[in-house]
Amino acid sequence: MVRVTGNFQSESPLHPKAFDVLHAAFDSGWADPAKLSQSGAKARQLKNNALESIASSLSVGVDSVVPISPASLGYYLGIQGLFADTPTLIHGATDRKDVFAIATKIPHNVLKSALDGKLIPENTTAKQSVLALQIANAETGVIQECDAIISSTQSERIFLDATTSGIRVPLSDQFSTALFDSKSWYGPAELGILIIKKPSQWSNPLPHLNAAHPNFDVSLPLLLASAVALENFTSEVKTADSQARKFNEQLRSAFSQVADADIAGPLESSLAHMLSVSFLNCNGEELIRALESDGYSVDSGSACTADNLQPSHVLAAMGVLTHGNIRITIHPGTTQAEIDGLIKSVVINVNRSRA
Amino acid sequence: MKEIDARGLRCPQPIIELGKEVSFMHAGDQVMLHSDDPATEPDLVAWSRMTGNVFDKKSKDSFVITKLSER
Repeated sequence: MVRVTGNFQSESPLHPKAFDVLHAAFDSGWADPAKLSQSGAKARQLKNNALESIASSLSVGVDSVVPISPASLGYYLGIQGLFADTPTLIHGATDRKDVFAIATKIPHNVLKSALDGKLIPENTTAKQSVLALQIANAETGVIQECDAIISSTQSERIFLDATTSGIRVPLSDQFSTALFDSKSWYGPAELGILIIKKPSQWSNPLPHLNAAHPNFDVSLPLLLASAVALENFTSEVKTADSQARKFNEQLRSAFSQVADADIAGPLESSLAHMLSVSFLNCNGEELIRALESDGYSVDSGSACTADNLQPSHVLAAMGVLTHGNIRITIHPGTTQAEIDGLIKSVVINVNRSRA
Repeated sequence: MKEIDARGLRCPQPIIELGKEVSFMHAGDQVMLHSDDPATEPDLVAWSRMTGNVFDKKSKDSFVITKLSER
């Protein structure tokens, strides 16, 4: 008997086209693009082509594209670089921990979350405050109403976290810097794309000698693979999201029939390929292990699965149950058989855990 | 008032112990839950919403739960 297996973790293999190009990219993109040699010129050409392709796919100017590695460095660069003389920060209660880490050192205001995961706008006149806004949440997929929040805070310095939303949600027109993660379009991990839309508001917060256009060293082959993945996923995203939405509806429908299931955020205002659900009186770690033994890999925000034994700050901020939590990511290529099998396995193992 | 000492227990055990006790209570009855697990307080918020009961935080690790619904 063939064992059905399914990967529903946030991580996934590279886009097949990106995987194909990696070997060639290491073959021809090994030189330093800054050097004058022939190989350097070739590498420079490859890098420029990649940047132009990325800029085109993201609908931004090529001069605003700054590749960085790792992607998480982009939080520091994108937010800290916008601080005026007296730095203050406004951010959401469901933001990534990277944003909370920056906030610990400066005066900050945290926007609370409603039960549906939407941030509650607060009226301020903090024009000089930096507003860090996550377009879609990394745990629940809930999409924020960015324009409404930007309008209420009146901040003129805006950092958009597009690491989860990627190209699935268009960027608001109003922003100063934005951060993408190559993983969101099935490109290589540990590669971020920082967009500096308003260079007059941004200065490089890292020690530097040249204040001109920032240039952070990234692996050229990985950048090329990321550009190829992005170009291909751009033409595939509508179909992928349509299929994911169908599967997500099936998962939500099945889980809502399980007693005391707490689904985080409605599908209408969430990314179609993500779902977070908690089951009352279930142990998250045991549930994940049971699903894994049935062949299904998922993530969890429960404290018992975290290194620091802390519950998910996102679920806690929303008021959603933090224990018995599983996070499901639907990837392009996920099959109906995998969805059916996952549903069956979750229902059986939740009931078994509660027995 | 009955007390549940769930100190030292990790999630979801404090909420499970609470659920067991509450199932024997009647509307209006109260129970004190002692728990030092960091997930207990946020989970009490969700548990109250899902079960129709209420809780009141008395100290860092102590909560009084009042049963309102008969479920």
